[in-house]
Amino acid sequence: MTARSMLRVALVIFVVLMVQQTVMVSLRISGAHPDLLWLLPITAALLDGPETGAIIGFWAGLVFDLVLPTPFGLSALVGCLLGFVTGSLTAAVDPRAAWLKPVAALAGSVAADMLFAVLGAILGQQQMVQVDFLTLFLVVGVSSVVLVLPVNRLMRWALAGESNSRSLVAAQAGSRAW
Amino acid sequence: MARSRRSRRTLTVIVLVVVSLSLISLDLNGRTHSLTSGVKSVANDVYAPLRQGVLDIINPIGDFFAGAFNYGSVQSQNEQLQRTIGQLRATQAERGFEESQLRQVMALQNLPYLQSLPTVTAQTIDEYSSNFTATITLDKGRADGVDVGYPVVGAGGLVGQVIQSFHHTSVVRLITDGQSKVGVVFGPGNQHNGIVDGQGPGSSMTADLVPPHTPLHKGEVLYTSGLQAASFPPGIPVATVQSFHTSAGASQETIEVDPAAKLNELAYVDVVQWVPPA
Repeated sequence: MTARSMLRVALVIFVVLMVQQTVMVSLRISGAHPDLLWLLPITAALLDGPETGAIIGFWAGLVFDLVLPTPFGLSALVGCLLGFVTGSLTAAVDPRAAWLKPVAALAGSVAADMLFAVLGAILGQQQMVQVDFLTLFLVVGVSSVVLVLPVNRLMRWALAGESNSRSLVAAQAGSRAW
Repeated sequence: MARSRRSRRTLTVIVLVVVSLSLISLDLNGRTHSLTSGVKSVANDVYAPLRQGVLDIINPIGDFFAGAFNYGSVQSQNEQLQRTIGQLRATQAERGFEESQLRQVMALQNLPYLQSLPTVTAQTIDEYSSNFTATITLDKGRADGVDVGYPVVGAGGLVGQVIQSFHHTSVVRLITDGQSKVGVVFGPGNQHNGIVDGQGPGSSMTADLVPPHTPLHKGEVLYTSGLQAASFPPGIPVATVQSFHTSAGASQETIEVDPAAKLNELAYVDVVQWVPPA
């Protein structure tokens, strides 16, 4: 990843953090709000493969960990695994398939929340499995499907110019950077 | 070539996972927690003003769509009023407890009642930042006299307890959080004890360890017990009874309670500078 791409990715992570902590947290439905964090590794993995997904998931999670009351490093761990698994599982799928992003966003966000809660409970934070999971999965899943496209646009811009394993960003960077 | 790339990917992920696990262990280990706490403190000092700046930009847009002229001043006035009402509710509810205590045990006159304790008034700048914890963030931190373990009251009762204190901000665990447990007393002469357990955001709280068939009534107020090594001073309204019953053969009464404080009206709260007596 080039220095320019890293700067852009850092900017995207910062923008998503601000949107999450100012707008999304106020959109609570039955105690649950949308979670943009997981969309960063998912879109990065879809655009540039599992390694980039894991790296961006790790750094995005680490930045979110700085401002969340949950154990420091937990979001980074889940983000890293989410990016890697998303990239690996979708490696054989045509990246231009219209269904790919919404399905990956839905399944990835729900799986990440589940993993986050279970790992938190294993680490002694029992309250993390005492939430209404049905509502949480509905709110996070549906909002992720809706928000994956704008986040994907941001990530595509951030990773534009990367020579990547899936050849999606490089191929379309010139015409569809924004 | 492809195999080499796959190996590099795997190695990258393994390194990131190991780093993440190391950070988690550092955070959860009592001796090294100050390291991660220090990093978070610095990050919060940088992040809080930035976040406030963004809120200052987007809030007027929201206010505009709310459709009311002078909405900002009305909201500010409303927050001040909520704070006043909360303090009055707490005072009113606590007075009943104090009178009851004074009638029965004059020897308890040295108990640290809430009204006699120093407090720091703080503004809530963030609520429920995670889907998995019931917390609020305050605009006061260590530099303002807010430390870990201090009780937080407002809007009619006990709000929670400070669990993280940074330089200029702090995080409060609400009493509805799944990890919150508060020792309470209730009934005539406050003769009954129990523990109010948070059940997570959006779920009703329960009062546990109350013997079967303990007399109760709907709306009865449960106060902090202040027993030895308690995390809160005595006499703060914690919750009100919503429903109760004793199942056949049960070892304790099943009691559902609601927070005494209006946890959706926490524009301002008071942090009580109190630590449990050694």
